[in-house]
Amino acid sequence: MAITRKMRTAAAMSAALALLVSGCGGDDSGGGGGGGGGDEASLEGAELTVGAKEFTESKVLAQIAAQALENAGATVDDSSLSGSATVREALEAGEIDMYWEYTGTGWVNILGNTTEDVPDDLFAAVAEADAENEIAWLEPAPMNDTYAIAVQSAFAEDNDLTTMSDAAAYIQENPDEATICAASEFLNRDDGLPGLETTYEIKFSEVVELDLGLVYTQVGDTCNFGEVFSTDGRIIANELTVLEDDLEFFVPYNAALTMRQETLEEFPAIEEIMGPISEALTNEEITALNAAVDVDGETEQDVATQWLEDNGFLE
Amino acid sequence: MTSTVEQAPDLGTAPQAAMAPVRRERRTLGSYLFMPVFLALVCAGLYLYMSNQELDSIEQRSLNASKIGESIWEHVQLAAISTIFVILIAIPLGVVMTRPFTRSFRGILLTFANIGQAVPTIGLLALLAVAFLFIGFTAAIVGLVAYAVLPVLRNTIVGLGQVDENILEAGRGMGISKMGVLTRIELPLSVPIILAGVRTALVINVGTATLATYINAGGLGDIIVAGLSTNRINIQLTGALLTAVLALFIDYLAGIAEDVLRPKGL
Repeated sequence: MAITRKMRTAAAMSAALALLVSGCGGDDSGGGGGGGGGDEASLEGAELTVGAKEFTESKVLAQIAAQALENAGATVDDSSLSGSATVREALEAGEIDMYWEYTGTGWVNILGNTTEDVPDDLFAAVAEADAENEIAWLEPAPMNDTYAIAVQSAFAEDNDLTTMSDAAAYIQENPDEATICAASEFLNRDDGLPGLETTYEIKFSEVVELDLGLVYTQVGDTCNFGEVFSTDGRIIANELTVLEDDLEFFVPYNAALTMRQETLEEFPAIEEIMGPISEALTNEEITALNAAVDVDGETEQDVATQWLEDNGFLE
Repeated sequence: MTSTVEQAPDLGTAPQAAMAPVRRERRTLGSYLFMPVFLALVCAGLYLYMSNQELDSIEQRSLNASKIGESIWEHVQLAAISTIFVILIAIPLGVVMTRPFTRSFRGILLTFANIGQAVPTIGLLALLAVAFLFIGFTAAIVGLVAYAVLPVLRNTIVGLGQVDENILEAGRGMGISKMGVLTRIELPLSVPIILAGVRTALVINVGTATLATYINAGGLGDIIVAGLSTNRINIQLTGALLTAVLALFIDYLAGIAEDVLRPKGL
């Protein structure tokens, strides 16, 4: 969900992205378009722009959508923007036609609510409220890229930590060891550190405010605990263990494709095409995809293509 | 209309007036007061506006007296300490680089100073954090100093370079030592230009110190980034306005320091 996640290689990546996608487009319009026919939903002639926030997961998800829509015959352009607010504005202004948004981000950042009144069915509430802004939310994916607290795997083993309640007990016994690295957003949001401390009745002894990208490398060094995102590939790379949120404090951040209502009305096939794809995106799947990009250095489009092929979404 | 008519006969004397030495007027009381009064009004306006807003829990977390006071204090420390180090490094370095014996490696030193400013501070901070796991206040000072050395170094070199060679010659002719010529003639004569560089460095540091928030060094960047990351315009506005007010106020103080420290007669 990272709203402020920074990709310093963003420029290079989006250049590579543009090249590869135009390459894919060329291939697909020849083969896929012809084979697609029949009762397959077709987007022949549609020109769509898929937006993404500037971090791996958002880009991978955008690639998955872009390639699936291209496979159905649409001409797809992609554009990578930075930060929730800018991408959302681009969607409202018509500069992009769709992007993946997270239910939690929609509730707090877009609709301006706080997390104290999160409804049980967050998706339904967000979709309903956002309909007034003429923005449609497609069915969300099961993947939940929410906040999580991680520790070094060795630290977790040594102290027998698997859940946040374990961590709370550990902090109770070792108050001086309760140091946490986190980014600004986590420190300031009600559904971040302030609420976490209340729910688990803990108090971190020292808060180290860092850029999010630095947190993953600092856990185990400057601090014992770190704020991470539950589906981030860097969890694997830095040998971190995510502590289970056993009291279910963190707000769910399920990813869902959002678009202007008029776009969906013009191309209702998008919903049919994206439905099964969205359903297949579980936490395990997306974390592996994120790691393939962030850890193994593959490109978002290759990772997306591979995943779509493996799951039978591309002909 | 009448004034132009009256001025006409004076035309003959005008060139003579221009010949008189240009005396830098000490600023009037009014011009001294304008900036602080203006900044106080901005702060008062901001305070009134914010206290009439209904702040939600996220906004309250950033917009309270203790958080804002702490951020300003951290920011002032970041800007002041980094500028002190800039002065300690850049002025002696500038002096050394204008001495004849450094001619051979002058270019290399200046290249390093140029690199310091060419590399964006955020990049340097990230490099320190990622490559050396070096974060916090000290790391922020390193980043700020590297960035702000160049204007002071350059102005020191230019300032010392513009001193009339004949005056130095006269000084040496009177039997003043090399060090004496430097401290009693060259440096005093270049003070205004060096101070202009220091003032530039100060303002750069106040602005750049907002980036220190990314490596746990605090400052007003905490507030700005908190506003940006939670999409709260009130927080962003407060952080940005306070940074601007602080930059203008410090620039104002530096301006006064320039007036006071400028040697008499210059």
